[in-house]
Parts: sequence; structure tokens; C-alpha cells
Amino acid sequence: MSNKLIDFMHISKSYGMQTVLDDLNLYIRENEFLTLLGPSGCGKTTTLRILGGFESPDTGKVIFDGEDITNLPPNKRQLNTVFQKYALFTHMTIAENIAFGLKIKNKSRQYIHDKIKYALKLVNLDGYENRMPDSLSGGQQQRIAIARAIVNEPKVLLLDEPLGALDLKLRQDMQYELIRLKNELGITFLYVTHDQEEALTMSDTIVVMNQGYIQQIGTPEKIYNEPENAFVADFIGESNIISATMVKDRLVKILGVPFPCVDEGFGQNTPVDVVIRPEDIDLLKPGQGSMDGVVTHLIFKGVHYEMEVMANNYEWLVHSTDMFPVGTEVSIHVDPYDIQIMKKPESEDEEAANVEE
Amino acid sequence: MLKSKRLLAGPYLFWSVSFVVIPLLVIVYYAFTNDEGGFTFSNLAQITTAENLKALGLSILLSFFSTAVCLILAYPLAMILSQRQVSQTSFTVLIFILPMWMNFLLRTMAWQTLLEKNGVINSILSFLHLPALEIINTPFAIILGMVYNFLPFMVLPIYNVLIKIDPNVLNAARDLGANPVQTFVKVTLPLSIPGVISGITMVFVPALTTFVISDLLGGGKILLIGNVIEQSFKQNSNWHVGSGLSLVLMVFIIASMALVAKYDKEEGGAAF
Amino acid sequence: MIRKAIQKIYMALIFLLLYAPIVTLIVLSFNQSRTRAKWGGFTLKWYQELFKNEQIMSAFYTTLIIAFLSAAAATLIGTAASVAIQGMKQKWKTFYMGLTNIPMMNAEIVMGVSLMLLFIAFRMTLGFGTILIAHITFNIPYVILSVSPKLRQTSRHTYEAALDLGASPVKAFFKVVFPDIVPGVLSGFMLAFTMSLDDFVITHFTKGPGIDTLSTKIYTEVRKGIKPEIYALSTILFVTVLVLLILVNYSPDKKDEGEEKKRRKAPSRVKGILLRRVIPAAICVVFIGGGIYYASENKIMNSEKVVVYNWGEYIDPEALSMFEEETGIDVVYEEFETNEILYPKVSSGAIAYDAICPSDYMIQRMMENDLLAEINFENIPNIKYIGEDYMEQSRQFDPENKYSVPYCWGTVGILYNKTMVDEPVDSWAILWDEKYKDNILMQDSVRDAFGVALKYLGYSLNSTDLDELTEARDLLIGQKPLVQAYVIDQVRDKMIGNEAAIGVIYSGEAIYTQKENPDLEYVVPKEGSNIWIDSWVIPKNAENKENAEKFINFLCRPDIALMNFEYITYSTPNTAAREMIEDESVRNSEIAFPDLSSLPELETFQYLGQKADEVYGELWNQVKSS
Repeated sequence: MSNKLIDFMHISKSYGMQTVLDDLNLYIRENEFLTLLGPSGCGKTTTLRILGGFESPDTGKVIFDGEDITNLPPNKRQLNTVFQKYALFTHMTIAENIAFGLKIKNKSRQYIHDKIKYALKLVNLDGYENRMPDSLSGGQQQRIAIARAIVNEPKVLLLDEPLGALDLKLRQDMQYELIRLKNELGITFLYVTHDQEEALTMSDTIVVMNQGYIQQIGTPEKIYNEPENAFVADFIGESNIISATMVKDRLVKILGVPFPCVDEGFGQNTPVDVVIRPEDIDLLKPGQGSMDGVVTHLIFKGVHYEMEVMANNYEWLVHSTDMFPVGTEVSIHVDPYDIQIMKKPESEDEEAANVEE
Repeated sequence: MLKSKRLLAGPYLFWSVSFVVIPLLVIVYYAFTNDEGGFTFSNLAQITTAENLKALGLSILLSFFSTAVCLILAYPLAMILSQRQVSQTSFTVLIFILPMWMNFLLRTMAWQTLLEKNGVINSILSFLHLPALEIINTPFAIILGMVYNFLPFMVLPIYNVLIKIDPNVLNAARDLGANPVQTFVKVTLPLSIPGVISGITMVFVPALTTFVISDLLGGGKILLIGNVIEQSFKQNSNWHVGSGLSLVLMVFIIASMALVAKYDKEEGGAAF
Repeated sequence: MIRKAIQKIYMALIFLLLYAPIVTLIVLSFNQSRTRAKWGGFTLKWYQELFKNEQIMSAFYTTLIIAFLSAAAATLIGTAASVAIQGMKQKWKTFYMGLTNIPMMNAEIVMGVSLMLLFIAFRMTLGFGTILIAHITFNIPYVILSVSPKLRQTSRHTYEAALDLGASPVKAFFKVVFPDIVPGVLSGFMLAFTMSLDDFVITHFTKGPGIDTLSTKIYTEVRKGIKPEIYALSTILFVTVLVLLILVNYSPDKKDEGEEKKRRKAPSRVKGILLRRVIPAAICVVFIGGGIYYASENKIMNSEKVVVYNWGEYIDPEALSMFEEETGIDVVYEEFETNEILYPKVSSGAIAYDAICPSDYMIQRMMENDLLAEINFENIPNIKYIGEDYMEQSRQFDPENKYSVPYCWGTVGILYNKTMVDEPVDSWAILWDEKYKDNILMQDSVRDAFGVALKYLGYSLNSTDLDELTEARDLLIGQKPLVQAYVIDQVRDKMIGNEAAIGVIYSGEAIYTQKENPDLEYVVPKEGSNIWIDSWVIPKNAENKENAEKFINFLCRPDIALMNFEYITYSTPNTAAREMIEDESVRNSEIAFPDLSSLPELETFQYLGQKADEVYGELWNQVKSS
């Protein structure tokens, strides 16, 4: 991809005793759809607000397009924000809302008029010019908030949990809508959410954050398949996260049973965490796999069955298209490349991971 | 079940009709009758005598000014308070409830002690070699008294509206390129209009109808419409004329409130 | 930073504005001097006096009881109504909210007047009950406006869930809905309590004789100069509430309210309940309990009573207690400020007074309108102590001495400050001297003001000649720009405090003011003036005539008359009492006991008939509103 558009350099921020961001370093490239993902209180929204200019960092700089904008007030920044709960001006019509930024910039009437038309068409709400925000549904208001931001042709669009207040179906529709918009407009998106599915669906890059630290940066596939620590693994998707011992390169002992794997370089007899995605577990006949157990729960999930298998005193979560009734004796098999080995996380991260449950 | 719930409003309905609606009808009755019980417009016509017109005019003028002063003083205060992390209750208490435990008449009267020729303020001023403030027994003292007494009624509704504004709405305006002044003019101010309007109502009406403040701070030289009505009941014992004037006053208030309410949106600025 | 500083300064200024009078009052409560115009040194004596002053304490407890009862009733009615309104259709909601808004929007004075008219129309005796009804009426909207928003926040579903789980509607309400709205109910109650406590206007119109709340008590006293005990009481109240509020609001566990809901911990909750509920409740109980105890101790229960309506500060309170003690008759005591205020109260018959103390011309008017009862002088043997001169004077308005017993008398004259007035003062003309612009205090009553003008013009102060009166009116209008204020008894405080150079005053007040400020001198102008007598009379509709006679007889006892003279400093017609005055300079004072023959021509006011009264009233209004 192209060059860096935004660069956060050594950003720290704390409120009173509470540190929200600690020496954060992060860059965003032009035309990237970058998502900050993490539980509430992880610092993602603060990062976005620092970029928007609504908070100033205690230390560090924000570089935008080669310029230091750390102390620039929000109205002087070439970016626009779509706020949580939309933040529409309830005393103005839809058209006035959209025109707000353009009027401030003293654009011509004709220009504004055209822009409103164009923006409303873009968000599929033509003809809503004279409605009041209160008379619109949540999804419609959300789209107006987006329209209001994009008519200003920002270089970056910041979105702060914009879909949080919508119901599931609407949220999915809006996700596609946002991807479409991003492609049509060709601008950079900085997206903040705590919803991992949203992040995986839309992003080019995901930044997983927790307690003011970046946990992992990567493509959705990478984040999902190769979480770097238990926090990321637990936060993204459903997993079996198990304490294990790395016996030597390419061999890990899980619940007392040796499993071949593909990872190297952890040293010998090192305590580690392993992540095994439920869909990566194959259930075989007893004795054929690495470890025998009994199916204890079974739920039909549509695409697959979700089962829990008790083996070696651990409840394995298994997704499979084959059905094994409760009480069936099975054996667990995992391919070496489906075992993800991670360093033990720092203790506080572990705590944080538990809080989220 | 729902029916029985509705019955709970019964006592209130009874009370309101008995002690709010019927008394107003009694006023109307008195306003349109004379001593002998005959129908007459002469009580209402009393408002057109030179003295009463003057009292009414002066009342309107003074209450208009004090409302304006209250607004000018209260808005910045409400803004400052709404931005600070003061809990709403302790603020309400401090500005509204607490002073009330010192009786309203005493508080107003204390201004005499403060404002008099040899009063506290002038002693301080003369100590600083500043010119004396001579406003006691003038309309300015009455305006001061009104502002003092009714300022909280202006601050509170404005404050209540301001704290309900989502800070992100203001951020959005900034984000869209508005500077702080533009943000205030285009967003904060219009959004706070309901509060301003209920503040105006809550200051204007009591200021227009007071007789105590003019009594205490006007030195008996300034007659407001409230004084005229009070006198007609308490001194001259002319209840019919008093009722007539009250009715005129009431109609005037309703009319001006209706005018103001045209710009008000429903429920936006309840004071409490 | 600068912005923050400016904000802080601004807030400080506003709070200075709001709290300056309160601080002033607190300071005054420690003032040795009785008048607020002078700082006489630090003292705590008013705090001790306060608890001995029955009138103030009973007004205080009345205030508290009314505040408590009206707030409680309003909370009950208002909360029930809010719950009902919440479940109604929009149309009805609007109707009820409109109903609620009437008292909120209506002018207080109109509401007070309308209730007064209603009570009188339905022949309800004005008193405790009517005040209570009025207070409940204006309190209900505050409760509704406090509770409704809380109700709107509670989810309908929790209520339905409770029903679903088998709770009866009543139980469901109290178990599920009520806990959520408790803060609203409580703050509604507190608001109502405070509003009732601070109300003056509505109480002013709906109260009857013998009952005073703090507000109405203060209003009566404002004209006379507030008793410092009231400052003391207010200070105690204010400080108590302040401390209480600090305890409640700034307890550590309440600092971040947002967090509070999330992490409610049991111990802090207990503490919170303790601080927020128990302590205020305890205080309420103490106040109310004390009030009820106090009321049962002193008043209401006793059937033997006498209803007295007297001028403000016109009797030694000690004399009242002595009378009650000696006779076992309760005195229901009320004060008025002018004869004109007194008359309609008596003539309307809405209130049955037993003994009233109007001035000469008002007595005549009452006699002419057949409002007075003949006094049975067999019950008043002490009449013998009243000097014959004064009985003679009384014949001017009570030709056969059948209706009245002289109580106080005096002249009207000019009080001036020798340091501010250089020339000798002997004429009313000085009141029209441009030199003393804004330094002149005029009497704020029709007859006194016109009396001065008429005398200055050389007419009788009982003139009914329209031309003469018009001339007097024009004179008074011309004088208005020179007048600092129209006052009644406040002349006293203002003259003591050197606020004005010249004031029109009653001779009785002059004696007191001279004591406080030796620069003051009193003179009866050469054009002549008014001599007045205030006498006790008994209205026809008196319910306790014999008690009234006992009361009047008691006041004629020389020792009591002396006590009263020393307290109110107005000349007494009781010659036996005068003989008992120890201070020779007072006993022979030119001001207190002038030789009537040496004074310029003095006239007594006479009742001029309703027609003339209306003319006077009309002309006076023109002066006041000019």
C-alpha cells in the first residue's frame, strides 16, 4: 500500500491516576481501512479523539500528512468524525445538518445543494432533505451522520463505534454500506469498535488494543489465525486456549499429551498458551486421535454443530458439520498447522481478558 | 388494573379543581360584578386609569429589564457550571435550595442594609475612595432585588438543558469546521432555547407581579401593579377592583406566555 | 488557564451576589444594637432571647408544621397523580400537565388572592387550615414535576415482569417501581418543604388572626425594624441546613455518581441511607415533635381566649405572658401596620377580634358603621388611672366615653438630625426645602401625609374641601422628588443610622431614637399638627367580650402601663403610671408629656365618611404613582 498518512508517535494519556494510553506508536496508511479493536476502556476511543482533536495527549505527537497537528483545534483538521449515537443537530433539518460544515466554509449555495443531493444519494436517503433527525430511525440517522461528515471531503473519516446502537440485521447491512462507501470515496477510514465480527468483516488492518497497549497489528486473517497472545485469541472468535508446555521445537505437550506442531524457537520445556480454533478440531473414533473423550453438550447452530467434548479434564469446544450425540465416545485430532503457540501473556492482560467474560 | 391506576389521579383532580380552578372562577366572578352583585366592566376598566396604567407599565419595564439582566448573568454561569464536574444535586442545592432557608423577606431586606447611603457597600466604596452607589429607593434597587431573587430560576432551566446536550454534538460542530464561537451560536444556543424560554417565564412572571420587592427596596415611592392589587385587597378592601386588575394581569401573562411558548418545544426545558 | 481563572472569578461574583445578604443577616444576628442601622458590638444575647420569645418561636413552629404537613400531603397526592398520569393516553397527559402548570405559571399574588376569595366565599375561617390548603395547592406541582421524570425513566417492563412473577399491582408498584422513583419523591418533598418554608405572598393572603408564619411575622416587623432574634433564628436554621447538606452531598462515597450505580457496595449503601434518609428524617422529627409539643403546651387546647389585634411592637410581650399566667386566658395576638389595613378586616367580619387598638378617627368610623360594642366599665375599674384630660380628648371621637379606653397618645412632628440641618426647624416648610433632597422621610399613610400638607397650607387636617385637597395633593406630588422614602415605622431605624436628615415621626418614636442617637431633635411645627390617641375598643362581633374587658383592665393597671411605656416609649395617658417613672428627665420629658397648652394648635383626626375616604385614597394613589 501507499505511504503513511497519519503517524502517532509516543502518545501517552492519563486521566488522573488512570493511564489510558501508554507510549502508543501507530501509523495509518492512505486509503487504508484501519480498525481499533478492543474492550471498553482499552484506549481505542481516546486514540480516535486525540486524532480528532477533542483530546490532547500528555506526551507525544500526531503527524498528519507530514504536518504536526498535535495542538491544532478540531475545526482546523482535515478529517471528520462519525460519532457514537450520531450526534446530529436535532434543531436542524437533515439538509441543514449536512450543509453545516459546508456553510462554515462559505461554499456557494449551488455547491451545497449539489453536495447534499449527492451525499443523500450515496447513503440511499434521497428525498429526506427536510425531515428532522428525530423522525428518522437509528440506521437512517447513522447514515445522515456519515453523509454529514463525507460532504466535507475529509482525507480521513473517523468512526467511533458508529454501529453500536443498531440491531444485528441493520448492523450487517451498514457494514456492507461502509465497505461500499470506502471503495467509492477512496478515503482513509479509522474505525473504532469492540465488535470483533465488524472488525474482521470490514478492515484492511486491525489493531487489537487492551489497557492502553497495542496487543497485535495485522490483517483480519492474521489476527484470527495467528493471535499473538491469549488476550487476542480470546477476544477474537471462540477458541480453546489451554496452558501447555513447549517440549522442544515442533512439539508441544497439551494436557499431558504430546502434539506435533509447526512452531519453533520457544526453547525447551517452556510454559506457553496454545490456541486451537473449534473448527480446527476433528472428531474421530475412539483411539484414532490424540486424546479420547465424551461428548457432553450438543447444539445445532445452523451451519454447524457446536459440541463440548470432555477429554483429559478439559472441555473442548468443537465445531463440526458432523453430528455426534451426547454420550458418544470420540477422539480428538488437531493438525499441526492448526495449533497456534503463544507466549504466556503478562499477568495484567490475563486479568483483563477475564473481565470481559 | 389500568382503570384502578387511573383513580390515583382522583385526589389531585379534586384538589386542583377545588383550589386552583374554582378560585380562578371566583376571581372572574368578582371581576365582573360590583358591590351590589350587578354585572359590570368597570373593574376591568380600572386598569386604564392613569395611575394603574403607569404601575402596569413600570412593572412591565422593570420585569423586562430584570429578566434581561438575569439572562445575561445566568447563561454564562449555567455554561460554566455545566462544563464542570459539579454534581447536579449539589449545584441545585447551593444555588437554589440553600438560600431559601434564609427567609425571602429577610434576604431582600438585607439589601437595604447593603445599599443604604451609609450601608455596607457604600462604606466599602468610600474606604476605597470610590464614588458612592446611590440606588436605594430607586427602580434600580428594585431591579437588583428582582435579579437577586429570581436569578436561580433562570440559571436552573438553562443549566438543565445545557447538561443534556451530548458533548459529541458540540464536538461534531467543531469537527465540521466550526470555531468555538460558531459552535456556540449555531449549536449550543439554539439547543438551549427551551431552557432559556422557561427561564424567562419563571423570572418574568414573578417579577411582573411582585409587591414585596418594590415595597422593601423602593422606599414606598414606586408603585407596581402588584402593589396596586395588594392594596386593593389588604388596605382599601375593594375586592372587585382588585379582582378586575388580577384578571387583567392574568390575561396579560397568559397572552405573553403563549407568545413566548410559540417558540418553545415541548417539555424541553422543565426546570426540575 | 486564563479562561479558567475568568470562569472562577465570574462564579465567585455571582455567588457573592447570592450570598452577600445572607452573610449580612448572619452578621446582624451578632449585633449588640437593636437597630440594624448601627453596629453595637458583638453579642450572643439574641440567641438566648430567641428561645424566650414565644411569638417568634410559635411562628417558627407554625412554619415548620405547615411546611411538613403540606409537603407530606403534596408528596402523597402528587406521587399518586404522577403514577396515574404516567399510564394515561397522551390527550389526558396533556390535560393533567396543563393543570399542573397553572399554579406554576400563575402569578403568586393572583393565586393568593383567588384562594382568599374562595375561603371567604365559602365562609371558611382564615387560619391554620387555610394556609395549609394553600400550601398543599402550590406544592403539588413541584412534587409532580420531580417525580414524573423519574417515572419516565423506569421501564414499564419491570413493572410488568413483577406482575408476571405473581405480584399484585400494588405489591409490584411498591417492590419494583417505587424504589426507582424514591429519589424523585424525596427531592419533591424537600422542594415542597422548602417552598412552603419560604413562601410569603400566598400565606399573606390566606392567613387569619393569631397565626403567623416566619414570613408574615417578618413582614409585619419589617416596618418596625426586625427583631434581632429573627436574625438569630434564621442563622441557626441556615447553618443547620448547610451542615446537613454538606454531610449529605459531600460524603466520600457519593463523589462519582456515575460509578455509583455500577458498583454499589453494601456498606456504603448503608452509610448513604444513613446520611441521606435517617439524619434528615431525624431532624424533621425533632422539629415537628418540638412543634407539636410546643403547640400543645401553649396554645390551641385552651378554650378561654382573647383575640387581640394591635399595632406592631405596641405591647411588651412580657405583659402578654403575665396576663395569660394571671388569668389563664390565652391571648391570640396579631399585629397590623395602619388603620386602613385594620378596618376592612374588622368590617368584613371574616375574623372575630375581641380587642383592637385603632386610632381616634378610625374608632369614630367604626362607631358610625356600628361595628363597636359598648364597653362594660364595671369590668374595668382601672379606668380610674387614666387622666381626665385624655378622657376629655377622647370625646372628640367617642362623645360619651362609652366605646374606648385610651392606651397611647402622641403628636406628629419632625425629627431632624442636628448635624445635617443647620437652620432652626419650626415649620413643615423644611420638608419642601430642595436642600434636603433625598434626605426626607415621609409617612406612608394617607391621613398622616395629607395631614402634613394640609397643615402646612393652613387648612384643617380634616378638610373635605376638594380644592384644598387637590392643593395638598399637588404639594405632595411636588415633594416626591425630594423624598428619600415613604415609610412607616422605619423612620426610626433610618434616622438612627443617619440615613436621612429629616423625618415625619410620632412623638413616641422620637424618645427612643434620641436615646440611640443624641444628634436627633423632635419638634412640633408652628403651623400645627395632629394629636392622636390610640384606644382599645371591642368589636361587635367579639366572641370573648368579657375576656377582652379583663384584658383592657389589665393594661390599665399602672405597673403594666409603665412596663408598656418603657417598652414602646409612646406617651401613656395613665397618670398613675407616669408618676411611677423613676427617670425624672423622662417623667418630665417635653416630648413624652408635653404641656398641651404650650404646643401649637393640635387637631385630632376625624372620620370623614366613605366618600371623603375614597377621595383621599384616590388622591394618595395619584401621589404614590406620580
